[in-house]
Amino acid sequence: MIRLKSKLALFNLLSKLVFTALFLIFLPSIIERVNLRQVDNDLIQKREKTIGLIEKIGIEPFINSDSTNTFGSYNILKEEYISLERTNIEEELNQIEVSNRIIEDEEITYRVLNYTLVVDDQKYLLEIGKSLASIQNARKNINRIILVFLIFIILVTLVTDLQYTRIILNPLKKITSKLKEISSPSKFDRTPVKTNTSDFVSLDNALRDLMIQIDESFQKEKEITVNISHELMTPISVLRSKLENILLRSDIDPETANKIEESLKTLHRLQSLVNSLLLIARIESHQYLREETFSVQSLLGEIIDELNPVAEDKEVILKSDFIQDYQFEKANRSLVFSMFYNVLNNAVKNTDQNGKVIVITNIKHGRYLVTITDTGKGMNEAQMSYLFSRFKIRKGNDSDGTGIGLAITKSIADFHSIEVSVTSEVEKGTTFSFIFPEIS
Amino acid sequence: MNILIVEDEISLAKEIASFLKSENFLCDLAFTGRDASEKIAVNLYDFILLDLGLPDYNGLDLINEAKKAGSYASFIIITARGAVEDKVKGLDLGADDYLAKPFALVELLSRINAVARRKFNIATQDIRLGDFVMEVQSRKLICKGAEVDLTKKEYDLLQYLVLNHNKVLTRQQLYEHIWGNILDDQYDSNFIDVHIKNLRKKLNHHAPSPWLETVRGVGYRVSTG
Repeated sequence: MIRLKSKLALFNLLSKLVFTALFLIFLPSIIERVNLRQVDNDLIQKREKTIGLIEKIGIEPFINSDSTNTFGSYNILKEEYISLERTNIEEELNQIEVSNRIIEDEEITYRVLNYTLVVDDQKYLLEIGKSLASIQNARKNINRIILVFLIFIILVTLVTDLQYTRIILNPLKKITSKLKEISSPSKFDRTPVKTNTSDFVSLDNALRDLMIQIDESFQKEKEITVNISHELMTPISVLRSKLENILLRSDIDPETANKIEESLKTLHRLQSLVNSLLLIARIESHQYLREETFSVQSLLGEIIDELNPVAEDKEVILKSDFIQDYQFEKANRSLVFSMFYNVLNNAVKNTDQNGKVIVITNIKHGRYLVTITDTGKGMNEAQMSYLFSRFKIRKGNDSDGTGIGLAITKSIADFHSIEVSVTSEVEKGTTFSFIFPEIS
Repeated sequence: MNILIVEDEISLAKEIASFLKSENFLCDLAFTGRDASEKIAVNLYDFILLDLGLPDYNGLDLINEAKKAGSYASFIIITARGAVEDKVKGLDLGADDYLAKPFALVELLSRINAVARRKFNIATQDIRLGDFVMEVQSRKLICKGAEVDLTKKEYDLLQYLVLNHNKVLTRQQLYEHIWGNILDDQYDSNFIDVHIKNLRKKLNHHAPSPWLETVRGVGYRVSTG
């Protein structure tokens, strides 16, 4: 994953590099063309000047028929030359070309203008040359300057780009960190993020509105659970107090006492069923806080200590193999306690004499893993399919519970983003795996 | 001790009152918030049992009102709303304890007694049980000069039975007292039996403990003659 800021900076850098490369590839030839044209114009001007001179003073000062057939002149640094000679070629020449000349054992590249002119019925060839060495040197220098300049520009704009994107993306950063920090929608910071970028303003507003909506629906659900709780618990409470008062009377006979106790037990089943369903509803409407940090290992240790007397009584071996501890952050300890307790208690219950229940903690693929394995009765596929269902209640024959414990476990796990998986084999045993959220 | 029971469910209020009267408390009843508000203004109470779900009053306001009026009553909140923050709010406002409905009457009694002990700074006396002495203050059980080595759960269980001596406590009442109701669903009568079995084994290792009785089909009782 790459951050938006880095992506923008990377794109900027790449586009500049491409632009610079194109510049460096095409610029030299453009400069050369411009320079050549200038040289050519220069040569043409010189030709006109020479022709003008010849018309004015005649050809004799350059060439006289008896002594020399050619006239030639170089300036001292051999940058330019001019030559005039008699010629017999048929065609009319008026062209400019590049040609190498060896002058005093030195090869020099010239831009040469060839021009034929006729003076007094005699055809002459006029050659004017200009050395390209200075142009080539200038080109090299210009290239060097441009390269340095471009590198400088790239570096400067890269730094300013980074700085600028950092500043304009700052509101986005604030919005994402606002989202990351919260553990529930009601905790969302509703003060608008300061920005004059309209996109960020609408993003911030949309998020805030969504959070308010979610929060409101949680509040509604909360009210509903509070009301259900009140309506159901009050009559249970009345019945319970009445039955308990009867049981406390000294004149009660054992048979009646037994019946009252059984009624209390049934009433308790109703109470814990309602409580369990309300517990799930409360977890799902985020009525519990997730603000604690605790060691998972010591929590498991507590549960094992708690269940050990029962396991010992059944002669079931309950042991732990703690390879790795984990500080679970932003969690609700008593809920996580329930989550493991339900599974571990079931494991002990479903394991016969001399069976084993083992709790293992470890880290796998960068995630914390707790497995609870028993050598108990195991489950078939049909039983597995409604394992976490809260509506299909499995009544064990020896259990006082409502059998909704695993549904609670599942909702607590979901609430904490813990993945739960189960593997089981009939008569071999069952393994529950709890995979914790990725360690950040 | 004077107790005001503020509860809109009349038959529940009456049951609580009948139980507390049998424990020698003086009980007054208020079925509405207004009624309660008037009674608090006129009478002096040691305890106010307060249902938060009153139809005409926010129970939490009643605490504020009473505190402002200078009442020294201790509040124990009893509520069926079961909202997590009700408990926190109530305790923040100065309530002394919180009980979720439905609760066991003996649990209510033991909460009242615990608050009373704190409030009036009553040092709990050591309790004699046959050859055993329970030192409530230091949470120790002594037999003929030697300490009986009990786990925390075993001690809590025994103390609860001892403080409610001569009353039969059901397994469920014992379980709720020790494990609270977050593990309500995992209630298993076998748990209490196992702990009592272990407890008896440890006691009998030191001296016979006929005072710890099993009441068939009902539960357990500590008899102190």
